[in-house]
Amino acid sequence: MKNFSHLLIKEIKELINKQLVISLVFILIIFNFIGGISKTEMKKAMAKQKIAVLDLDKSEISRNIIGALNLANFIIEEKTGEKDKVINEVRHSDLDLLVVIPAGFGQEVTNFHPGEVETYSFLRGISMSGSRKSEIVKALLQTTNDFLSNEYLKKKLPEMDPKLVKAPIKSREFIVVKDRTAEGSSSAVIGSLYAQSFILPVILMMIIMYSSQMVITAIAMEKQNKTLETLLTVPISRTAVVLAKMLAAGIVGLLSAAIYLYGFRNAFSFSSGDLAKVMSGVTPILKQLGLVLNTPDYVIFGLSLFLTILVALSLATVLGVLAEDYRTAQSLNVPLVFLVLVPYFISLFADINTMSLPAKILVLAIPFSHPFFAMQNIMFGHLKLLWAGIGYNFLFMLMMLYWTVKIFSTDRVLTMKLKWGKKRVVI
Amino acid sequence: MAVVLEVEGLKKRYGSLEALKGISFRVEEGEIFGLIGPNGAGKTTTLRIIATLLTPTEGKVALLGFDLRKNPDKFRERISYLPEEAGAYRNMRGIDYLNFMAKFYARDENEVKEFVRRAEKICDLGLRLKDKVGTYSKGMTRKLLLARALMTKPALAILDEPTSGLDVINSLEVREMIKAFTREGVSVLLSSHNMLEVEFLSDRVALIDRGIILDSGTPQGLKEKYQATNLEIVFRGALQ
Repeated sequence: MKNFSHLLIKEIKELINKQLVISLVFILIIFNFIGGISKTEMKKAMAKQKIAVLDLDKSEISRNIIGALNLANFIIEEKTGEKDKVINEVRHSDLDLLVVIPAGFGQEVTNFHPGEVETYSFLRGISMSGSRKSEIVKALLQTTNDFLSNEYLKKKLPEMDPKLVKAPIKSREFIVVKDRTAEGSSSAVIGSLYAQSFILPVILMMIIMYSSQMVITAIAMEKQNKTLETLLTVPISRTAVVLAKMLAAGIVGLLSAAIYLYGFRNAFSFSSGDLAKVMSGVTPILKQLGLVLNTPDYVIFGLSLFLTILVALSLATVLGVLAEDYRTAQSLNVPLVFLVLVPYFISLFADINTMSLPAKILVLAIPFSHPFFAMQNIMFGHLKLLWAGIGYNFLFMLMMLYWTVKIFSTDRVLTMKLKWGKKRVVI
Repeated sequence: MAVVLEVEGLKKRYGSLEALKGISFRVEEGEIFGLIGPNGAGKTTTLRIIATLLTPTEGKVALLGFDLRKNPDKFRERISYLPEEAGAYRNMRGIDYLNFMAKFYARDENEVKEFVRRAEKICDLGLRLKDKVGTYSKGMTRKLLLARALMTKPALAILDEPTSGLDVINSLEVREMIKAFTREGVSVLLSSHNMLEVEFLSDRVALIDRGIILDSGTPQGLKEKYQATNLEIVFRGALQ
C-alpha cells in the first residue's frame, strides 16, 4: 500500500506537467474570452437600443405605435423628410432598423383597411441584437393588430367576445409518462429536460476522452523514456503498477474535464441561475410526471459512469502497451475517441429505444454508450436496459482489467507491438 | 563462498526462435560475474529473465534460495536492474528520482536518506542532482542510473551493458564505480559485448553465443586454457 501510494503520487505529478497546466490555462482564457464576447452581445441585445422611425402619417394611431416602441425599451430617433432620403441616411449611420409609417396609415386603419408599416433592417453582420430588434417591432405590430381587430369586432359584433371570434377552438395539452399524466406543454417539458441534461453528455465525453488519453500517454512515455523496464523490476506488484497508472489518469482526467467544463459553462452561460429560470415553470409538471431524479437515481447513474471510466482506462492501458512512443499513443487514442463520439452524437439526436434492433445492438455493444443513455433510461423507466448496460459494462471492465493485469504480468508488456502494415498484434 | 544466484538449464523461446538453449551458471557472494558474447547471443534475455521482466520457458533460476517462478516479488526486493537502454523521468530532478526509487526499497525515511546519500556519493553529480534529468548528458544519466541500481546494496545488481553509448572518460568512471562498489560485498551480474571491459571488471566470466554458454571461468584461467592474450581471442578459440 505504501509503495502504491508512492507510485500513484509520482504518476499524478508526471501527468500534471507544465504542458498540461499551460493548455488548461489557455483553454480557460479562450473560454473566458468567448464568454466575455457573448455576454457583451447579450447585454447589448437586452439594453435600450436606438432605432429610427419615419412617421409620415402623424395620426393618433401612428403616435400610439411610436409610444409603444418607446415603452418596448427602444430609443426613438425620429426622422423627417422623404422616405428614400431617410433610408439612405440610415444606411450611412450606425442605426440598423428603420420603421416607416406611411401617410394615410391612420386613416386606412380607422376605416378597417389594411395599413402598412414598413421596417428596414440594415444588416452589417450577424449579431444577436440585430435580429432581436426586428422581432420586437414585429411583436409590437402584432399586438397593435390584435388591439385594432378587437376594436373592429366589438364595433361590428358588440354581443360577441372578440377573443372567441378569433379563436373558436381552445386546446388543452396533456403529457403522459408511464402511468402518470400532467397538463402542460410537451415541447416545454422536452426543452427543459434537454436544457437540464444537455451538459451531461459533454461531461461524459470529456472525462472519458481525457482519462484515456492520459493513461495511453503515461504508458507510452514510460516506453519512450525507457523507464518502464526499471519500474517493472522494483518491488511493487504489477497489479499495483496498472492500478496506479489508471487511477492517476482517472484523477487527472477528471480534473482536466472539470476545468474544461468550468470554462465551457462560463463561456456559454450555463449558470445554475439560467437553468433555474428555464426550469422554474416546468418543475411542477416534471414532478407530477416523475421526471425529477432523486438520490438513488444519481447513485445508479454514478455507477454506470464509474464502470465506463474503468472500461475506458483499462482499454487505454492496453493501447498504451501497444504504443512505442508518444506519437503512436496519440494515433492509438483516435479509435477510442470515435467510440466515445458515436454514442455522444446519437444521445444528442436520437432515442435509443426507438432505434432499429441491429442499430440498437451495434450502439449498445460500445461500452461507452450506456452512461449516455442512462439518464433517459432512469427517467422513463427503461430499467431493464439500464441494468443490462451496467451488468455489461461490469463484465467488460472485469475482462479488460484481468487482461490488462495479465499483460503487465507477462512478457507481453515489453514484447507486444502493433504492426500497422500487417494490421495485427504480434506477440 | 555462498551462492547468490543459481541458473540451471535456462531456456527461452519466442515462438519458433529459441533465444536460450539451456544455460547454467552460478554467481557467488561479492563477485562480479560477466556474460560476454556478440549481439543476439542471449545476454540481455538472460538478464531480463533474472530481473523478472521475462518468464523462462524452461529451467530453474534461484536467488538466495528463492525460486523465480514462485517468488518474483522476493526477487524484486533483492535485485536491482540497469537495462542497456535505460532512462530516468525527465521531468524529475536527479535527487527526486533517487528519492523516488529509494522509497520502494527502504523500510523507513532514515533508510531512504541513507540510500540517497550513498547514491550521491556513487554518481558524484554534485549540484547537478538538483537539475531536471532532462537536462543531463548521456553520461550523467548513466551515472545517475548506476547509482540508483547500487544505492540499495542489492543482493544482486544486474547491469546490462553498463557503459553502453558512453565516451572513454565516462566509461572509465562507470567501471571504477562498479569495481569500488563490489568491494562492499555486493554481487554483480553484468553483460557486455565489450570483452576487454568484462575482462577488466569480472572475477569470472561466461562466454555465450546463440543461446549456449561455450565456456566459463576466471579471465586469467580462460586465457591460459586458450593460450590467448585477451578474452576476444579466448572467445574466438571457444567458438572453434
